[in-house]
This record gives sequence, C-alpha cells and structure tokens, in this order.
Amino acid sequence: MELLNLNIPSWSDLAYWRPEAILCGTFLAALLGDLIGRGRRPAISFVISVFGLITAGAYSVAAVLHGGAAHTIMGDLIIVDGMAAFFRLLFILAGLATVLFSWTAEEIMGRKRENKAEFFYLTVLMTAAMMVMAEARDLLMLFLSMEAVGLVSYVMAGYMRTSLRSTEASLKYVIFGAVSSGIMLYGLSLLYGMTGAMTFDGIRAGLLAGEVNGLSLLITVILILAGMSYKIAAVPFHFWCPDVYEGAPTPVAAIFSVGPKAAGFALMIRFFYTTLAAGADPSASAPLIELINWPLLMAVIAAVTMTYGNLVALRQLNVKRMLAYSSISHVGYLLMGFVLLTDAGLAAILFYLAVYTLMNLGAFFVVVALNNHIKSEELDDYAGIGFRAPWLGTMMVIFLASLTGVPPFAGFAGKFYVFTAVMDRQWFWLAILAALNSVVGLYYYFRVVKAMFLTRPAEGADTTPLKIHWLQYTVLAVLAVPTLVLGFWFGPLKVLADQAIGLLSTGM
Amino acid sequence: MTAADLIFYALAALTLVPALWVVGSPNIVHAGFNLLLTLLGVAGLFAWLGADFLAVAQLMVYIGGVLVLVLFTVMMTRVPQAREADSGAKRAILPGLFALGVLVVLLLVATGTHWGAPALTDAQPTTAEIGANFMTSYIFPFEYVSLVLLAALIGAAILIREPRGTEEDDEAGAAVETAEEEVQS
Repeated sequence: MELLNLNIPSWSDLAYWRPEAILCGTFLAALLGDLIGRGRRPAISFVISVFGLITAGAYSVAAVLHGGAAHTIMGDLIIVDGMAAFFRLLFILAGLATVLFSWTAEEIMGRKRENKAEFFYLTVLMTAAMMVMAEARDLLMLFLSMEAVGLVSYVMAGYMRTSLRSTEASLKYVIFGAVSSGIMLYGLSLLYGMTGAMTFDGIRAGLLAGEVNGLSLLITVILILAGMSYKIAAVPFHFWCPDVYEGAPTPVAAIFSVGPKAAGFALMIRFFYTTLAAGADPSASAPLIELINWPLLMAVIAAVTMTYGNLVALRQLNVKRMLAYSSISHVGYLLMGFVLLTDAGLAAILFYLAVYTLMNLGAFFVVVALNNHIKSEELDDYAGIGFRAPWLGTMMVIFLASLTGVPPFAGFAGKFYVFTAVMDRQWFWLAILAALNSVVGLYYYFRVVKAMFLTRPAEGADTTPLKIHWLQYTVLAVLAVPTLVLGFWFGPLKVLADQAIGLLSTGM
Repeated sequence: MTAADLIFYALAALTLVPALWVVGSPNIVHAGFNLLLTLLGVAGLFAWLGADFLAVAQLMVYIGGVLVLVLFTVMMTRVPQAREADSGAKRAILPGLFALGVLVVLLLVATGTHWGAPALTDAQPTTAEIGANFMTSYIFPFEYVSLVLLAALIGAAILIREPRGTEEDDEAGAAVETAEEEVQS
C-alpha cells in the first residue's frame, strides 16, 4: 500500500475556512444549548445561532476586503475564491434574516410558542452546507454538499409536524430529490468514466485531451443538469416547487426560494464553467460548448422556464403559490446568463442573485408577518391590508415592484445586466421573450398590490391596524432599503460580482 | 466465452430479471422481495469488478438495512390493493415508449463513448486503501458526512416527535379522517 502521494489536509487550511467552521460549531453549540435548556428555552439556541451567523458574516466580510487569490484546501476538494466569498455573504444574509424573522413567526414557534428551537440550528447548518456547495471543486464534494443541503431542507419542509400539507411537502421534496440525485449520479459516473478524473479541472483536461463523443457528452451534461435543475427548480424539474413552498412553513419557503437556489447556481457556475468553458479564447466559444450546442440547450431551458413560471403564476390565487411560480420564472431569467458561459453573463447571474435574494426574501417575509395575523395566504384575504399595516404594505410594494423589474428598483438593474449579456452575442429572441415575460409579471405582482391598497375589505371584516413586531420591521427594512438603493446605485455590487467571476476565470 | 464472462452474464441476469419483476408486479411485497435479488446481483457485480469493499457494503447497507426497512414498512402499513385501472396495459404504452427511448440513448452512450478512466488490470483488496484514504486525503468529506448524518438524526427526531399542540392535533386528525374517507369512496 502506497501512502506517499496522499494529499493530507493540514490545520492551516482552516484559516481560509473560518466562516464555515464557525457555522458548524454554531450548529453544535446551539444543539447543545437546546439540550441544556431541555428544549424549553428556544432563546438559547436563537441567540447562539444569531451570534454565530454574525461572527461568520464578519469573517466573510473580512475575507472579501482582504481580497486575495484562490486557495484550494482540504486535500484539494474545496476551493475558496472570490466567487465563494460572494456567495458566503449571500447565504449568511439569507440565513440570518430567516433566523431573525422566524423568532416571531407563529408557523415556526407555534401559536403558544410551544415549539422547540431546532429550526434555528438547522438553518445555521443549511447555511454552512450551502457555502460548501459554492466551494466544491470535486465530484465527491459536489454530490455530498448537494445532499447535505437536501437533507436539511427535507426536514425543514416538514417542520409543521401536525400539518398535513407540510408533511406532504416534505415527502414530495424527498421523492423528487432522490430521483433527481439518482439521475445526476448516473451522469457523474459517465463523466468519470470518460475522463478518469474527479476534480473539475481534471475533468476539463480529460475532456480536452481525449477523443470526446458529442452525443455522450451531451447526454452526460443533460443528466447532470437534471440534478441541478431540481435544486434551482428549472423546468422540467420544477414540480416540487409550488407544492413545497405552499406546504412548508412560510419562513422555510422564504429561505428555500433563495438559499438552495443560489447555491445551485453557484455549483452550476463553477462546475459547467470549469469543465466546459474555462481557459478558452474569450472572443470565441469554447470547443466543448460548441460540441454539445450548449447555448441552444440553455436558451431553450431558460425560455421555457420563465414562460411557464409566469403563465401559471397568472392564475394563482394563493400568494405563496404565486411567489413559488414567480421564483420559477426568475430562475428562467437567471439561466439566461448561462447561455454563453461568458464572464459578463456569469457576473450578471451573481448580481441578479444578490438582488433576487433581497427582494424575494422580503416578499416572503411580508407574507409571514401577515400570516401571523390573518392566518391566511389567500389573495382575497389581503383585501385592504395596506390600510391596516401601511408600512408593511409599502414594503411589499417595493419588493413586488422590484420583482417585476420596474426601473428605479434593484430588480431592474439585475434584469438589465442579464439582458445585455445575451444581447452582446446576438441572442435577441431570448431577450425579447424575457422582456415580454416581465410585462406578464407586472400583472400578477400588481394584483397583490391592488388587493392590498385598492380593494375594500368585505363588510364587517376586521379593520383594526395590525401590530407588527419591531424585529420583523427591522429585518424588512434591512431588505427593503438595499432593494431601493441598488436600483440606482448598483456600481459597488456590480464590481463585487465582476471581481468574483474574474477570479474564477483567472485563478484556476 | 470465458468463465468470467459466464459469471458476468449470470450476475447481470440476477440483477435484471428481478428488476423487471419489481417494476411490473402489482403486489408490492413481491416487488420488495425481488428487489432483494436485484441488490444481491449488484453486490455480485461489484465483487466481480474487484470492488470487494463496495460489495460487502452493498450487502450490509442495502440488503441488511434499507431493504429490511422497506419490507417492514410495507408489511406494517395497510397497502391499498392495486386497482385494475392502475396496472392497465393502456397506461403503460407512453411510459414504456419513453423508457425504451431512454434505453436506446443510454446504450448509444455506453457503446459510443471513449472511456478514459483507467481500466482495472488485476484485482487487489481495496479495504485497507479505502480506510487509509478516509483518514488522510478524504478526511474532510468523512468529517462532513458525520455532520450531515447528525443533521439527519435530528431531522428524524423532529419528524417523529410527539406534537405538543392540542388544537392542531384535532385539525390534523380530522383531515386524516376525511382523506381516508375520500380514499374509500
């Protein structure tokens, strides 16, 4: 047995992996805290989770400010680079906002606050697992990190144990997840068979060196895409999405709609860019991409996803379901950045994801805040809510307008970059279709605004002002202000996204 | 045809024939027992390929653990008898054609690909090497999986714990009853 050529991780690797290590520690500490409080003191876990997330966030910010080259660590299985740093911040924002907001959400804590604190530390672990997804550079870590996020998600979807809908959501998530993982594993095994390599770089080298059969590579890519499309809920692997979002507790749906999706995109960017496109002449398409006609494949998936999501969202009368379909259509817009696998397109995805995280979390959180009071997510029950909770209503308008992509809001800037990325390479039909889709979006987003502000509530309905917890207002404001500001002052975020992708393409 | 080829075809048959049964059988208990044979065939294929550790793991995890669990679950829950309409031949046409198409494509891939992975020349025991790798190069995924398994454990505890609320219990109970009535009617 040969033990000389082993690549043994050293403790110094942890220096580049502090935020993740802190979150893993936070998970264990919060778990222990829950045990010490005998499950009756959720505050212990809540405080530990918040503190851990903030500490990890501080280290992530420090890492971004420090800049620096890519480091492959943990036996070359993990890469920490600009893109990983970007996604770290995104996931910590989503995780922290969700934990803070859930503290006062009845769906999580129970009507009499009788529930335990598992939700908080599961969210922390999910945040850490999503970070690993954005850092994987090896097939083994790719699969493990996806399964880790999946396992935590299944539990969180079924968190309302006594609700049939929640249990059903969890079961659907598990079954779809298992099937798509199986399909993806088959694709990964084919890829290993073709190249004999496990790392993404090694796979590209193997594909470029060996004689590649176009059909084999195409089928392999499609099989792997199946697994990843499930994570980001792209057509035709979107079936679980509306049911899970509707059945799961709303704060869980909120983090599902941004966290695992962004993590899926991070993994897709790193995997497909590194294996198929990296290192190619930037002025022309990479040969491997040409071989399987990747642009057309992605353009069709993007077009179908955004159109399907939008058209079905039109008919939804449940706000949560509507937001679920709207999130599918946003995945379609995001996939447009993938069509060419150019730096501009990928940076546009990162920018859009950051904006999308802010506005979509916000929209879902408003639904949570309202659900605390009116116990419903039906559009009809939203009638006149804008007068009962003016601030909440205003913020919902900001989030929805931004989701639509109307100019002074951040969503417009996000769409603008994605659209220009495809038009740069003459994919006009895709850009036109996406613009038409945005107009369709206007209708169903503003139907909610109309219900909140223009519809009179039914005779005899409760019209007392709603009391929203200050913590909820704070979190919503933290999400709403950037949604507004990023609409006209988006330079810094754009620079950050460009840097992240620039480091990906140069820092092999 | 050498002896090794014969063994391979025997193992492949052991995997495939019961697998067809698993898919086609209207009786879910029969399907479960046939799955046992299929998984045994897969373990045999691993052993045939020289992956001794995987073969034993397949036996212990899938046959010893997962399958026994599946059979227990099937036998302990009330299984609605498969209705005629569900197993009708008409409904099988489209999925059957789809499956056939998938088979053709996968066969084309399997035969057309230039396999670059190094072929196994002579089989050596793999267990020691796998163990050494887990403790050195692959210690990170090894530790990471333990964290994931801990989360799975907690998740299982959450999903099976006794609910504390009382009102919601009644709601859920009523919902279950109505669902059952719908199934019966």
